[in-house]
Amino acid sequence: MTSYSNGAFFNPAYHDSETLEIDRSSGKTHHTNPYAGGDRAVAHYSTGPTSSDDVAGRVPWGGWQEESWKGRESIPMGLMSTRPGSPSWQHDLNHSTFQIPPGSQYDRSTSVRLPSAPSGNMTMRWRGMAMRRMSMFPNGNPTHIAFTEDAIRNEMENEEQNLVKELVALSTRDRILAIRDLPMSVDEKKHIRSQVLAFKSSKQSRQFTCFADCSENVSLSFRRCGYSLRSARQTLELWQGIMKEIGGTFGTSVLSYFVFLKWLLMFNIFSFLVNFGFITIPLLVFDPSPNIPPNVSFRGLEILTGAGYFQYTVMYYGGYSNETLRGPVEYNMQLAYFFTIAIYMVLCGIALIFSMASSFKKNYVLADPSSNKAWQLLSSWDFSITNERAVRQRKNNLRVQLKESLSEKAQRELLTLSEKLKHFGVYLGFWLLSTSLTVGCGASIYYLCQYEQQRATDAANWSLLQEAKTLLVPFVVSLMNLVVPLFYSLFNKFEHYSSQRRQIYALVVRNVLLKMSILAVLCYYWMNVVAKKFSCWESMVGQALYRLVIFDFLFLMLGSFFGEFLSNVIGTRLIPRLGVPEFDVARNVLELIYAQTLAWIGIYFSPLLPAIQIFKLFILFYIKKVSLTRNCQPPRRSGRAAQMQTIFIALLFFPCFVGALSMVAYTAWRLTPSEQCGPFRGLNNTFNVVGVWIDDLGGIPGSQWVVWIYENVIRSEIFYFLISLIIIVIIYIFWQVTQGRKQLIGLLRQQIVNEGKDKSFLLDKLQSLQKCQPDKKSKQKTQKKPTKRRLDEHSLGGQSNSNAMVQALLARQQLEEEEERRDTGGMPVPSDISTSSALIQAMLARQRAYDQDVDEHLSSSSALSQSVQARQRAEGQERDEYYSTGFSENPINTSSAVAQAMQDRQRAEEDGADDLPSSVSSVMMQVMQARQIAEEEDRPQWVPAPTQNPSPAGSSALIQAMLARQQAQNEYDDGY
Amino acid sequence: MGTTASQLGKDLLSEYQELTFLTKQEILLAHKRFTELLTKDEKDLPNTRVPAERILTLPELKSNPFRKRICHVFSTSEQKDGSLTFEDFLDLLSAFSDSATLEIKSHYAFRIFDFDDDGTLDCGDLEKLVNCLTGETDETRLTTEEMRQLINNILEESDIDKDGTVNLSEFQHVISRSPDFVSSFKIVL
Repeated sequence: MTSYSNGAFFNPAYHDSETLEIDRSSGKTHHTNPYAGGDRAVAHYSTGPTSSDDVAGRVPWGGWQEESWKGRESIPMGLMSTRPGSPSWQHDLNHSTFQIPPGSQYDRSTSVRLPSAPSGNMTMRWRGMAMRRMSMFPNGNPTHIAFTEDAIRNEMENEEQNLVKELVALSTRDRILAIRDLPMSVDEKKHIRSQVLAFKSSKQSRQFTCFADCSENVSLSFRRCGYSLRSARQTLELWQGIMKEIGGTFGTSVLSYFVFLKWLLMFNIFSFLVNFGFITIPLLVFDPSPNIPPNVSFRGLEILTGAGYFQYTVMYYGGYSNETLRGPVEYNMQLAYFFTIAIYMVLCGIALIFSMASSFKKNYVLADPSSNKAWQLLSSWDFSITNERAVRQRKNNLRVQLKESLSEKAQRELLTLSEKLKHFGVYLGFWLLSTSLTVGCGASIYYLCQYEQQRATDAANWSLLQEAKTLLVPFVVSLMNLVVPLFYSLFNKFEHYSSQRRQIYALVVRNVLLKMSILAVLCYYWMNVVAKKFSCWESMVGQALYRLVIFDFLFLMLGSFFGEFLSNVIGTRLIPRLGVPEFDVARNVLELIYAQTLAWIGIYFSPLLPAIQIFKLFILFYIKKVSLTRNCQPPRRSGRAAQMQTIFIALLFFPCFVGALSMVAYTAWRLTPSEQCGPFRGLNNTFNVVGVWIDDLGGIPGSQWVVWIYENVIRSEIFYFLISLIIIVIIYIFWQVTQGRKQLIGLLRQQIVNEGKDKSFLLDKLQSLQKCQPDKKSKQKTQKKPTKRRLDEHSLGGQSNSNAMVQALLARQQLEEEEERRDTGGMPVPSDISTSSALIQAMLARQRAYDQDVDEHLSSSSALSQSVQARQRAEGQERDEYYSTGFSENPINTSSAVAQAMQDRQRAEEDGADDLPSSVSSVMMQVMQARQIAEEEDRPQWVPAPTQNPSPAGSSALIQAMLARQQAQNEYDDGY
Repeated sequence: MGTTASQLGKDLLSEYQELTFLTKQEILLAHKRFTELLTKDEKDLPNTRVPAERILTLPELKSNPFRKRICHVFSTSEQKDGSLTFEDFLDLLSAFSDSATLEIKSHYAFRIFDFDDDGTLDCGDLEKLVNCLTGETDETRLTTEEMRQLINNILEESDIDKDGTVNLSEFQHVISRSPDFVSSFKIVL
């Protein structure tokens, strides 16, 4: 940023380019103007005398309007939309676009643009412009079209040219994205695109090569391919219609549950494919028949228990062999098993981290939950809701929420200390209660497991009763998972949390604690008891997990049938006060998360568990859908769906995935695999597989590097130590950067607030001035002086921003005065053009002042001097015109204006030197000075000259104003 | 599907794909739905405008409280009657599609909420917006006092430069902090 602005000031091309651009834009209508051309272009526009009062008088207003001065100008918006349809103008436009020689001035002007992030910058600009168009042409009577059409046409041409230029510079892909991102209608986009393409082809025709053509074709076909891929993906999208239906009736927050479910389903399909493809298929190909003992047969109960017959199939760890399968290629089952699971876990982790991080970025870092509550309510209106009843209900809910938020705000301050203490006591009590419930559940599970373990034997085949007894633990666990959360929801009703967010968080935390502690107890039991007792303990653990998954599924079904259906019946028939139940997204998602945790833990012990999970999720989707549409009503509270989703993904990652991963990792590292079954039989621990493999590799020439990496990277503590050190350093740096950014954001915000305050203050001032003015037209001069004096003092006081604005407003005021003078029937004053251009100069100055201020935090002095310059120029011109039109041309006055200008500037320069003794300001001063002198000198010649063409000058003024505005917009947006 | 594809033309289709956020299926579906709205003799004419009343019979728009504004904003008609051509219709769907960027969405949302088309959201616009969202009838409306307080809150939250109105930048700023907006500003055919 700094280099940009500095460069701009040192580089005369900056100023030139601006003038040249303006010059060019109006050049085609200008060719009769004898003064046009070269560096003096600005001077021409700002002072060129014209007789077209109307153009001059109105044009600046158009530019000004967006500064909250609305309603003055009324040009219908139709102008903008009919634009592509007007043939003559389009012709002009193309004409001008193609005539631009892509030569030196062209490149210069583009090179001065901000080099960073061209597309972002551009869309910002363009967006700003589109908005400005809107604000310039509010609907209304089309009386003023005539005056401004030319000017606006020119302005838009110019902006469009700029846009086209920037688009041409982009790569094809970026360009397509950028064009797509323009907030315009398809027709306009088409127009822009055709221009860009035409420009490109006209450029290319000179340097035509076969290669360029080919690459263009290739990229086109790639793009087409991409489109068709996207389309194909959409065709394959699962449950699209159902999703739309749910979203249309219940809104996005309920839909997010189904989206999450679908996401999990995809996850499981992926893991199933991986496991099935790399572990099961090779085994089945080489050894298709499971080694089932002759006395074991399928009895039916296995579907629930997963024991018996299933124990000898590829369902569990025990069903896999440890051999190297010999066929066309050698396939080491041990390695395959180990690496498949490991890589799958790593991929899962990466996918989770990425989706979590992006979701956090979108929903938490940017979101500022405390500050914009009302807007969050207003902007969360679901456009996808199509059901008439749902719309009505949603409107009601929104109204209630709005009222609540209003009363909440009023209520918050009224809490007394005793009330606070009471609330605190209630929270504490319920937290204690829920924690003790959790602990109780964990303990009872542990004792139940011990009880079961005493009964169970390590026999090959169990009797039916024995088998059925294994169902006790999963039954109890699932029952707890079903019942205890209901208690938690009940607690929540008594607690009266002040915000809904806290309430949900409390609920979520309690549920997660419960589920995780139950799982932790089970894992502890499996690791420490089962692993020592059973000969093929991995399969036993796999069976236990299988049972848990199945029972969880059954209870989910029961839960949705009885939970939602029963409460619906109770709510509608028995106790109408309760009403139709809402779909509890949080509870349902937590159930899904729990189910997924089971699947992850089981991946090592039962590689095909994802298949069960896929089946389960698939059925669950339909059950939940039916239950939802039959029994539930849309949630009363909307909003926060996105944040909740982030929390769910985070929960899925943190306790669940991390817990499952550590459990599997512990198993692989520490526990001895069972000796009689499974791929790792005979090894000390599972991880030894890698060691054995590396030893094997050591014998093969050409693979020494793998051994080296294993010895020196994987097994060395130094490596991990260094890696963690580097990561910590990087984190620290990033943290510092964020802190800096935060400060900057605060500063910028403060600046905007100050700006706004200044604006309102000045507007008040202006209005009061306007009120007392009409009577004192004759005393205008004398009245203006003291104001300026005061403002001078003000500006020299150091508030660079505000004084720049003061100048702008003052210039505007002058313009108004001129207009008044004209309107009241005085002599026709052909000075409006120049006054308006003076105004625009002032605006430009203000803009630059602001830019620098934001960019550098230092150059307030230069900004100050510049604004003084601009004001003084405006003053000079104004006075000059006053004399030249009111009386005969008076060279003495002109020269006195020059003198005063010099004086002013000198003062400003001194100030600048005092504040910041840098060369930036003085160099700039000189540039400005030179230009000013040129201006002043030129003027006497022009005054007597007849009017050439009013519109170009007017339009150039407008364009300058637009440019200034655009810059302002850019800077403002970049601030965010 | 083959017939609709041939009706639209392959080049046109890929052009639309390039210029909008829609996929091929979505464009074809949009075309199908749009031609269903046309009367028999209109079908032969190219670039027919469908009046807003007929557009609003689409179930996706029928019960939307902003339906009139949506038609108005996306219409390129010179009479400002809210009538849409097929391309306007595509624009609408593109802005409301899943893949549209936050920038596009917030831009159009701003224009939809800007009831008097003056480029800023002032108190009148905000009041209309709230009324639209809570229902227009007298008993569903907020009281004057509540409305005043609400608008004050809104301006306090979003009017950074304190000029009494919310302009596009301020609106986009505030929208970028409401994560639910992107997922809820969505219309799927």
